Amino acid sequence: MTFLVDLAIVTVSCLALGLASKYLRQTAIPAYIIAGIILGKSGFDLISSEASYDFIQWLGRVGVILLMFYIGYEFNFKGIKEPGRLFAGCTDFGVNFIAGFALGLLIGMSLIETFILASAVYISSSAITISSLIENKRLIYPEAETVVWLMVFEDIILAILLVVLTSIMSGSLALIPVCLATTLLLIVFTFTLIKRLSNFISPLFERDDEIPILLIFALIFGFSAIAYLLSILLPCHISEVIIAFFLGSALSGVKSSRKLFEATISFKNLFLTIFFFSFGMMFQFQFATLFSAYFILVLFALITLSVSGKFISGALIGKRLHGSLETGLRVGAYTTPRGEFSIVLLAVVIGTRTGNYELLVSLVVAYVIILSIVGSGFAKHGDRIGKGIYKLIRLP
Amino acid sequence: MRISELPEIGTKYEIESPKGDKVAVIFLTTGEIELYVLEAGAEKPSVTRLTPEEARRVGSVLTGALLTIEHEDVEVSFSDISDLRINIHVCPVTKGMVGKSIEDLAIRKRTGVTIIALSRKGQSIISPPPETVFEEGDLIVALGEREQIKACAREILGQV
Repeated sequence: MTFLVDLAIVTVSCLALGLASKYLRQTAIPAYIIAGIILGKSGFDLISSEASYDFIQWLGRVGVILLMFYIGYEFNFKGIKEPGRLFAGCTDFGVNFIAGFALGLLIGMSLIETFILASAVYISSSAITISSLIENKRLIYPEAETVVWLMVFEDIILAILLVVLTSIMSGSLALIPVCLATTLLLIVFTFTLIKRLSNFISPLFERDDEIPILLIFALIFGFSAIAYLLSILLPCHISEVIIAFFLGSALSGVKSSRKLFEATISFKNLFLTIFFFSFGMMFQFQFATLFSAYFILVLFALITLSVSGKFISGALIGKRLHGSLETGLRVGAYTTPRGEFSIVLLAVVIGTRTGNYELLVSLVVAYVIILSIVGSGFAKHGDRIGKGIYKLIRLP
Repeated sequence: MRISELPEIGTKYEIESPKGDKVAVIFLTTGEIELYVLEAGAEKPSVTRLTPEEARRVGSVLTGALLTIEHEDVEVSFSDISDLRINIHVCPVTKGMVGKSIEDLAIRKRTGVTIIALSRKGQSIISPPPETVFEEGDLIVALGEREQIKACAREILGQV
């Protein structure tokens, strides 16, 4: 029963730090990661056994699956047809991905590491961005729609990046096309099956007993398991979270599924919190690396580069879509926070092989912790920062 | 009216007056409703967050059904028939009415008001027959023109 003690440690520490960060009006994601770092392997090592570490990690993985299921379900790309939207999405991706990529190459990372770094740097935190739009009462302004759209576009890119990166991580060059093909086939299979079964599934969702919730989890775990079994059969990695994403997207078309989808949200919130903890808990914290001048310099460069990246892409988007540089700078400020997706991407692509990618993992973790806090400050004061920078540029 | 989907936030309905003032209603995915008003040239919008119940009340005021606080009075107007306004009045029965029937009181004859429903111990009786006898604690729903409702309140309910 030591599991119970371990679970108590996880939930109580997350609750305490989470509550503290809400009181400080900060985003809670770094708090959960920090709780994991302090109590986990590189900290006090309070979790009782290896088995418990595995158990907590396992719960965290469920959180990531549910997160991707959630995003897939809410995913709505109808907005792509509106003028300028595609331009906005591509500019955001182009500028920020290149910024991360350039720095990765500059510090001598391998091509694959550079690719992962660039992806993590590109993706903003929808959670922080969207909640600050609501809190700041920006929803009436046209740029709110642009920002929300950017978050949607980033979801599309995230799905593509995950498919590509997990395939590349499978090892040998020859296997990459095989993995890509298998993943794509599985996605098509998921969509077709759900479509075929929808007449059978949707009446089950309308029942009042435990059947609907069982069904939705059976689907989520069932399809994830197929992805897992396929990756064992074939010597390549097919990520279950990608399948969860597309399963969500397929299910959103099934009648009466919304109520059940909403029922999964609280599960997502719980397990995702455990995921952030477990990520911090497994983090190999090495003082020597983390406090070396080189590391700090690289981190500082990365942060400066990616903050300016979002402002530059924001400015370009603002000029083109709203005809205003100031609006663009606000868009930049709102999209600065990074968070859940950078960490999820890293965890999914690298998995448990953190040892081999020590510099990359440390860099991204430190980066996300800092930019989720600094970035939400930027987002919170988006108006003033936008105006401030605008004046600064216009001054001379 | 512009309608736009804001994924993960909700749906936005937006209207701009010729003066440039903007009003937006956002149905949040949480079920609550945010009402934005942005005056032309203003730095910041005014925003309020309403529960569905409050939003419905605001909505019925805007669409023409009037709610007055003293007596729950609803005025219904119809967009196609401009001069037709019907008042619906809800009130508890008064002491003088208890034990008497609708017929005894001659409500319609004296005031022109029709009793369209009765709520008794949580049960509602729609279109009560004239022989229905009022009991203490009944809530009546009366329908008529504004003047008729006033007459009813004065003569039958004994309110001034």
